[in-house]
Amino acid sequence: MSSWLPEDFRNILRISGREVQGFSHRPLFLFTIILAPVIVVIFFTTLMGAGLPTKLPAAMVDEDNTKTTRELVRILASMQETHFEYYFDNFEDARKAMQEGKIYAFFYIPKGTTRKAMSSRQPTISFYTNESYLVPGSLLMRDFKTMGELAGLAVTREGLYARGATPRQAYGIFQGIVLETHPLGNSVLDYSVYLTNMIVPGLFIILILLAATYTLGYEWKQGTQHEWLKMAGGSRIVALTGKLLPQLLLFQLMFVGYDVYVFKILEFPCRCGLEMMVLWSLFTVIATQAFAIFMFGLFAGQMRLAMCMCSLWGILSFSLAGFSYPVTAMDPILQSLAFLFPLRHYYLIYVNQALYGFPIHYVWTSVAALLGFTFLPLLVMHRYKAAFDHIKYRA
Amino acid sequence: MKNLLEIWFYELREMLHDEGILIFVVFVPLCYPLLYAYIYSNEVVREIPTVVVDDNDSKLSRDYVRHLDATPDIKIVARARSMAEAQRWIMRHDAYGIVHIPATLDLDLQRGEQTTVGLYCDMSSMLYYRGLLLGATGVTMATNRDIKLDYHLGHTTRRADEINAMPIDYDYVTLYNPQSGFASFLITPVLMLIIHQTVLLGMGMHMGRTRERWGGCLFPLRPEFKYPVTMVLGRVMVYFLLYMVWAFYSFTLVTKWFGLPQLGDPHVFFQFIIAYLMSLTMFSLVMSILVYRREDCIMLFVFISVPLLFLSGISWPYSAVPEFWKAVGRIFPSTFGMNGYVRITAMGATIDDVMPEYTGLWVQAGVYFLIALLAYRIQLVKVKHRDKLYCRTA
Repeated sequence: MSSWLPEDFRNILRISGREVQGFSHRPLFLFTIILAPVIVVIFFTTLMGAGLPTKLPAAMVDEDNTKTTRELVRILASMQETHFEYYFDNFEDARKAMQEGKIYAFFYIPKGTTRKAMSSRQPTISFYTNESYLVPGSLLMRDFKTMGELAGLAVTREGLYARGATPRQAYGIFQGIVLETHPLGNSVLDYSVYLTNMIVPGLFIILILLAATYTLGYEWKQGTQHEWLKMAGGSRIVALTGKLLPQLLLFQLMFVGYDVYVFKILEFPCRCGLEMMVLWSLFTVIATQAFAIFMFGLFAGQMRLAMCMCSLWGILSFSLAGFSYPVTAMDPILQSLAFLFPLRHYYLIYVNQALYGFPIHYVWTSVAALLGFTFLPLLVMHRYKAAFDHIKYRA
Repeated sequence: MKNLLEIWFYELREMLHDEGILIFVVFVPLCYPLLYAYIYSNEVVREIPTVVVDDNDSKLSRDYVRHLDATPDIKIVARARSMAEAQRWIMRHDAYGIVHIPATLDLDLQRGEQTTVGLYCDMSSMLYYRGLLLGATGVTMATNRDIKLDYHLGHTTRRADEINAMPIDYDYVTLYNPQSGFASFLITPVLMLIIHQTVLLGMGMHMGRTRERWGGCLFPLRPEFKYPVTMVLGRVMVYFLLYMVWAFYSFTLVTKWFGLPQLGDPHVFFQFIIAYLMSLTMFSLVMSILVYRREDCIMLFVFISVPLLFLSGISWPYSAVPEFWKAVGRIFPSTFGMNGYVRITAMGATIDDVMPEYTGLWVQAGVYFLIALLAYRIQLVKVKHRDKLYCRTA
């Protein structure tokens, strides 16, 4: 390979120009690389605009229906996340409503609860959550659990007051230890902070991978690969750089726009400063493009296979990044495989930097990995030679 | 009818001869469910590494820590001397939670006052938070009950103790997914999403193939392709029948192998899946009109998978989805398909219970059928017109 000359730079710019021209009149391609990322950002930020979902529909089944249980029902109904949309008087109706998807959970107070409580015979109240929908199910479960405790405590409290305890003493007796939760980095439990910030970059990564393999493959599909290589003065590196440079700029611009939007306008936590996140996104975009070049080289110009592989990789990223289901709970094979996904590293860096503002050296492996991805194309340069020399597009 | 069979047979052969389509409609629906189920096969997060900062170091605090360690959710990996030291464990990702016990724990309790234990959770994944909170809340409540008896009420008989500790007991029942497992929650609807996306991709590529071969025309310029109705139904039938197999594969084998919730009645499922596949194949045919080159379909359809999952109210509670996006969600068969399927298989719903989804799917099928007919009709007229011009000039 020749050393980098000013001429190479000119070639890169010429190829980039050809690239921009070629795709400026492909509406579909423009849609997927410009409009789609914007739609995705708007979609996720408005969808989860509420942050923590509140007023989840639930039902109350009070078969006992006494003064005590009605009071209990009133207390429970005032909790933040719960919204008793229905009040049923039997269990069957509640179960039916759950099956029809109208409610996510219900609270059940069986007949005779008050009578048993008054005569110290320990009645049982129950709550049912629909765990087929895990997020609303868990949120309601947390509230209901508190309610379940409160119900019992209410009875004890009355007894203690009757014996002359002050409220302070009473609380000391029935709730000696208070558990105070501090969710680090996301104190309001904003789901949007934790999901949007991973899903949007994840989708960007898919689009970057696909856009790169698509445009590379398109040369072979149109049979213009030789013309393209000639423009690069025979240098494969120049050819590839020139081709992907416009996309790099475009996606980096998208990323910067996105970072400004979520961290400055929506004020998601960002303890490392916006400019650091912009830098990490640049690392990610370059690493992802390099990964796409690698994939395409691996399949020696087989556009369809490379695109299929990139789709697979991109979609799997969401699972193996480990933000919804932690990687530490997966099979050991998958734990090591996760290292091969750019999104995984972006995620670790994001958590370390934006969410916590910790020193970067705690995630140096991820930074190194992203840098490592950048050099992957060198491994498959000989495959590109073969591709340019004698591979034809195959449907 | 004969015409329909001819077209069906032709389209089937086209599909079978195209390696690219086969990857999407055979390989992916066969392997993806297995891959996903494998990723989430552990279902729940157990033994979350946690650091304790015990400033009290009394018998009570040591008991408390021991009980924490004994829960399935929490594993105490270290005892740090200060919060700063504990924080370093979090930074290194060696621990995901910190429990801080104040120096005055037993003193406060002896005086009959409340005391506060701090729980710091790593929020990089909600499941850590959930596990830590569940474990610590359980232990705290149990300890409180003991404190109430040990320090204040005094012990009598065992039964009386139980009642004093907990005058009203409560039961917590997790319906339809008893272990609150991640796979049972996610894989069930994702099975339908995989079907949705692969039909879209497969039919998209099929259209790309036709268009590339026949100069951008929606159908092959062959004598048997003369009625829009048979052209639409012929192609739809190929995928409809093939996906009947995949639907039952997901419903029976995948569900069974990975121990996913399985309360579904096969008859209900059969009735529902017909509606889903009709709607889906018609929808995909309409969407495939956007595809001009084979690979376009990958660019167009792959990235929408994740937004579709959110639109359907699986990952994000449907009640919290803004009205506008709910309306957008009704465009896609996946919204009705995933919800209906979850309720049928995981919750044992009948067709009556999923009536809104079921009718929604048929309405979609009808609307998309008409759109497809219209598109083919327009194309047919154009082709005829072109032929006439061609004849005249020739």
